[in-house]
Amino acid sequence: MMQPTVYIGEELFYGQIGHFFVVLSFVSSLLGAIAYLWNRKSVEHQDARWLRIGRYAFLIHSVSIFVVIGLIFHLMLNNASEYYVWQHVSEDLDMKYIFSAFWEGQEGSFLLWMFWHIVLGLILLWKERKFEAQVMGVLCVVQLILTTMILGIYFMDGETVFKLGSSPFTLLRNEMDAPIFASVDYLSNIEGNGLNPLLQNYWMTIHPPTLFLGFASVTVPFLYMMAGTMTGKQSEWLKPVLPWALFCGAILGIGILMGAAWAYEALSFGGYWAWDPVENMSLVPWILIVAGIHTNLISRSTGYSVKSTALFYWGAFVMILYSTFLTRSGVLGDTSAHAFTEMGLENQLIILVLSFTIWGLYYIVKNWKKMPSPPEEEQTWSREFWMFIGSLVLLFSAVLITFTTSIPVYNKLFDLWGYLTDKDYTHMHRTSPLDVISHYNKYQLWIAIFIAFISVIAILMRYKRPLGKDSVKKVLQFAAISLVISGVLHLITYEAMNVKAWQYHVLLFSGFFAIVSQGTYFFTFARRNLKLAGSTISHIGFGLMVLGIIASGLGKQFISTNPFAQRGLLDGQSEEDLGKNITLLKGVPMFMSGYEVTYTKDSLDGVNREYEVNFKKKDSLGNVIEEFNLNPNVLYDKSFTKIAASNPATRHYITRDIFTHIDALPPEEINIEFAREKEDTLSWEPYTGFVGDTIFTKNNFAIVENIDFKTAHPDYESQEGDLVMGMTLKFSNATKDSSWQAFPFIVIREGVVYNFPYQVNELGLKIRMKEESLQHIINQSATTKAYQITLPVNGSGTVEKYKVELLSVDQEKNHPNYAPEPKDIVIHARLKITDTETGKSGISNPLYVIRGNNIFTVNDPIPELGLLCRFYHLDPDKEEMKLSFTSQPIEEAKLFFEVAENSARSDFIVLQAILFPGINLFWLGSLMMMLGMFVGMYIRIKK
Amino acid sequence: MGKIKKVYIVAGILLLAGIGLLVNASRDMSTYSTFKEAANTEISVKIVGQLSKDKEIFYNPVEDPNYFSFYMRDADGMENKVVMLAKKPQDFELSEQIVLTGQMKGEEFLASDMLMKCPSKYKDEEIYIKSEQSASL
Repeated sequence: MMQPTVYIGEELFYGQIGHFFVVLSFVSSLLGAIAYLWNRKSVEHQDARWLRIGRYAFLIHSVSIFVVIGLIFHLMLNNASEYYVWQHVSEDLDMKYIFSAFWEGQEGSFLLWMFWHIVLGLILLWKERKFEAQVMGVLCVVQLILTTMILGIYFMDGETVFKLGSSPFTLLRNEMDAPIFASVDYLSNIEGNGLNPLLQNYWMTIHPPTLFLGFASVTVPFLYMMAGTMTGKQSEWLKPVLPWALFCGAILGIGILMGAAWAYEALSFGGYWAWDPVENMSLVPWILIVAGIHTNLISRSTGYSVKSTALFYWGAFVMILYSTFLTRSGVLGDTSAHAFTEMGLENQLIILVLSFTIWGLYYIVKNWKKMPSPPEEEQTWSREFWMFIGSLVLLFSAVLITFTTSIPVYNKLFDLWGYLTDKDYTHMHRTSPLDVISHYNKYQLWIAIFIAFISVIAILMRYKRPLGKDSVKKVLQFAAISLVISGVLHLITYEAMNVKAWQYHVLLFSGFFAIVSQGTYFFTFARRNLKLAGSTISHIGFGLMVLGIIASGLGKQFISTNPFAQRGLLDGQSEEDLGKNITLLKGVPMFMSGYEVTYTKDSLDGVNREYEVNFKKKDSLGNVIEEFNLNPNVLYDKSFTKIAASNPATRHYITRDIFTHIDALPPEEINIEFAREKEDTLSWEPYTGFVGDTIFTKNNFAIVENIDFKTAHPDYESQEGDLVMGMTLKFSNATKDSSWQAFPFIVIREGVVYNFPYQVNELGLKIRMKEESLQHIINQSATTKAYQITLPVNGSGTVEKYKVELLSVDQEKNHPNYAPEPKDIVIHARLKITDTETGKSGISNPLYVIRGNNIFTVNDPIPELGLLCRFYHLDPDKEEMKLSFTSQPIEEAKLFFEVAENSARSDFIVLQAILFPGINLFWLGSLMMMLGMFVGMYIRIKK
Repeated sequence: MGKIKKVYIVAGILLLAGIGLLVNASRDMSTYSTFKEAANTEISVKIVGQLSKDKEIFYNPVEDPNYFSFYMRDADGMENKVVMLAKKPQDFELSEQIVLTGQMKGEEFLASDMLMKCPSKYKDEEIYIKSEQSASL
């Protein structure tokens, strides 16, 4: 029998514990579901023993999931590279991103979701008495199905393998097929992929947990709906569910907004909302929850709308599951920029969606007739009627968004239908609208207008009965005044907001109307009614958000345009076709939309290259009235071969933002392959010259100005023992007035030559020094003059005009021209030689090396003096050493170098700059919406 | 016969309006076209295809950062020049599939929008082999 391979260094123990706890969490959630739901006949007569089993089962489930999460962190933190999860981290990953690395993958994000379910479940277990069995029972079923996603169990049926879930504890070598796993010590040769640089920012740390808390909290209203219908307590669940629904609306809303803020602040999308399928599918459950909150309020005050509340809470939860399916199954691959890739869980995800859709609907339908509703119908002019209409409008919004987002699903259904009927339906396939954003906007614009007006009508009405005669008069007066004030505000602002189309006029007016009416109503009519505080804050927030959307959406302006740079190759270009990008040459100011913009410098720190872009605004006299710097940056991948992410920089004002982002760079900066390609196409021409010579290249001429032995190149870090030689050339061109200096240099470190070419961007040429230039100081020629001197240890002496001081003797092996071997005995002399005629001095570090029975000497130059020192004899008895050195004036050094004149310039950035006016209104308004829900929740919990 | 409830009337109207809106919305859905069809129409179309990797990919930001051209082969195998008045996206050369939105202008297809499908954009299935600390400065 074949022995299984034993791999060196693998710690399979943790994975086995992990698997055990995954299975335990599965079994305990199953037990909890059974125990809780078994004895659900009535709320009043519950079997305490079953309840106790249920509670313990849920606690065991909770502990198991916490252990699983803890183990994954343990594996990530302890370099357990045998595990697949370790691929999300890497040795160089900053530990502050460990959480991001955890929820980057599908398994981690499922666990995050389950973690929040458990936290909410523990609160329910603590607080909820009446519906405990049903609420916790259904939650256990939810957890049961979610646990299957991380179960990682395989079933064999002949040749086919069914995979149930994807375990976070799979081994890398089982997950991937690569030749490296053939070696038993593969562990010492691999490193983690690490976290995608796009995700290495604090948004990735705070956005997913908030969004998943929002996702998890959508489950709670569903649990209460199920509990109510299961127990026949058709209306008693409506009270405890309300604070949960408000919490859910607020936290899910904040989670979505964080995503929007991330897109705006840190990603280069150039906006906060793009109607991407992934964004849409997190918005739809929120809209349904908000609709549910409104019908829930109606039901609490009047007894109407119980059925619609049940349907909305069910729908919101189903849409969370549907959203999970869409984003995690790979269906959206063609239409979304940021969905997960598929991982073989499609069927399980479909089961997840269908099971709760059907189970929830079953109880709603079963109880349809039993759900209470008052015998007489609603008054037309009552608050509940208009709130209900508003909820239906929200439903419209949700349906429209889902309808278009689901296009890839329709295609899959056509495929399925074709497969079943053995026909080809690919001609039925559709794809997303040509202009996605305007497609969604044209419908949602009217939704927003309706919501704004309906919310005002609803707030002016009373529950259950129409307004009395006196009140009608007051309300009409109030409405008239609001309309006038809103109209005035509209007239004052619409031009500044770039409102031209009549639809936007209506939207702008409705935004003002909502703010003015809600605000004044609260402070006049409803002064003492604290219950309305939350509602007022949210609805004013809605109005402000609408204004912010108009201001930033219509006023969004690409300021990075330069009308002179257009190509005009295509006829009939409209103004919109004018480019959105501008090329900035380093140090050359460009004018765009009232700003003088200069790319001043860039700096590299690790894999982060930061660019400084200076903005100046001048008045008519040329005085600078405003000046600021923005620092967009790009991140290279860890192997430094190409750019992995480009991060914008934004200048914030109260009334507007200026957003900048590096859109493109010279190809050789983007990808090392382009740099190599470019290097291959360069045609190098060799030249030689002495200091003072003039050389003539094909298009230019240059004077050799200088030789030096120090350099301050940003890419070069000086190290003890480096030998540096550089030259200065001054290039001129017959057709250009100025001249440009070039400073190529070479460095010898531990026997290896490194070349640092110099690019003269203005002339598109590149120059590099050749190693032969060093010959002059390393190899001596016939013209050299030799000196010899014997020095006592720690002594000094003089030979002709040179004063030689022995500064120290030690065993330092670091020398540019010496490659150490283990058994070498090295004696290193540190000498200071001074030319007494000129007063110049320099340091030399020759080596005396004993290797076996042989003696080597490693010579060391003092380039400044044109000297080369040799330490050739050591007499331990007499305690003296013999040195020789040769001199050759450095001015006589012949320099070898090469020039390529087809090196395109590489000192520019392509910048995109966008002006977003009024964006803060959007953030303020949308945050107020969420804040209002928190206020509502607080008031209801306190009561 | 009892009076029909107002809510049902409203719901009926809204339902009809909703169906109308959905039908209207579904008109926006597009189908994939080809260069040949694009040449015969004035309106914008979507074309899906592959980058012709052997033909020139032109982008010279020093000259014009908003002009980018390449050749693409559509589903019928027809090759056509494509011009985008925008920057060249990163990793464009690696794209497996391109979805263009735009219309023909003369012989060239002027794209207003482009969606690229790249291999392993979000999940890198490569295994990193530890590299020897190379002697770089």
